[in-house]
Amino acid sequence: MYVILVYDIKQQRVSRMLKLCRRYLHWIQNSVFEGEISEVKLNELLSKARAILDEDEDSVILFKSRTQQWLEKQVVGRERSSLDTIL
Amino acid sequence: MKKSLYIFNPGRMSRQDNTLKYTAYDEEGAEGQTKFLPIENVADLYVFGSLDANSALYNFLGKNGVSVHFFDYYEHYTGSFMAKEYLLAGRLQVAQTGHYTSLKKRLVVARKLVEGAAFNLLKNLRYYQGRGRQVAEEIAQIELYVSGLPYATTIAELMGYEGNIRQTYYRCFEQLVNVPGFTFSSRSTQPPQNELNALLSFGNMLCYAACLSQIYHTQLNPTISFLHEPGSRRFSLALDLAEIFKPLLVDRTIFRLLNKKEIQPRDFVRELDGCLLKEAGRKTFVRVFEERLKETIQHRRLNRSVSYQHLIKLECYKLTKHLLNMEEYQPFKAWW
Repeated sequence: MYVILVYDIKQQRVSRMLKLCRRYLHWIQNSVFEGEISEVKLNELLSKARAILDEDEDSVILFKSRTQQWLEKQVVGRERSSLDTIL
Repeated sequence: MKKSLYIFNPGRMSRQDNTLKYTAYDEEGAEGQTKFLPIENVADLYVFGSLDANSALYNFLGKNGVSVHFFDYYEHYTGSFMAKEYLLAGRLQVAQTGHYTSLKKRLVVARKLVEGAAFNLLKNLRYYQGRGRQVAEEIAQIELYVSGLPYATTIAELMGYEGNIRQTYYRCFEQLVNVPGFTFSSRSTQPPQNELNALLSFGNMLCYAACLSQIYHTQLNPTISFLHEPGSRRFSLALDLAEIFKPLLVDRTIFRLLNKKEIQPRDFVRELDGCLLKEAGRKTFVRVFEERLKETIQHRRLNRSVSYQHLIKLECYKLTKHLLNMEEYQPFKAWW
């Protein structure tokens, strides 16, 4: 499964969220992540995220797509981080 | 699916916040852009450039079951950092060793491996024969060698057959790659003498590392092999498995790259006494090779689509079954 994850989290908790997401997905922009992830890993990520966020104040939004091909991505301006696996 | 990372740029990989941080260096050695890589999504690392790392990183990689393969400047495979074995199976280990020590049992497996390799490379030749290349003579020659396989009584003899088959096969290369500027007289290594040899060396080595990575995820012991002699300090079972997959993964990648002119004579550098791929060429090669590993085919028996990478693992499973006397090993033969 291919997902785009965005979060809106209060400043004092944001860095913990950032660190968590970095382990599972590619960072592409402030509070935006993208990448291939399995169902199980996604559940793992979400349960860890729940432990961090305050459900009354913060939110995490997921956009799921079956594969990357089903998603057309367009970047306007500077691409801050590419998803390339050849460094 | 977890992805392999290929690192060409010099840089520093470190552990930060329980994930990987990569800082590239530019030509002057100044730190460039940093990038965080999701550890949960990394299968293994292939290191071509010079990489700085400390033991904390290796401990972390080890815990996450990520292996690191190193290649030197001349594109040879130099070794791997393998995470601690996580699938241990004493029974299989004993069975695997048993199949190695008994010549009779070893010959059975070794013969199947050569058979599989020969079948797959013949497949390549037949494909191009259908497209009007003159390779009938070589095909007949290889078939003759294959018919001799059942009569081989020593491992050396099998290796001899294998060598002969490959030599005959390589004779066709110049014909298969119908692009001016690429000649191929004979296979040469350390260092490769011309462009085609450089591509073959580079590709074979990638294939070797890909096989090793898959073996790691099974219970097989990568040091005990059947066709190749299990030497010390090397994972020779990967060499055995690579035989079967080289025609599909490496050779076809090379034909595609050259026939579609994705790699051209200017992507090589001739130096000292050999010929090497330049960095841009290497990157192109790796990209296409990676695509190939991820490419899926419809598996007949499993009735679902399976990637080439997974086929290597399936091969390990079949071998395991054979070693445990559950089902006779049949080498993978391309059916399309």
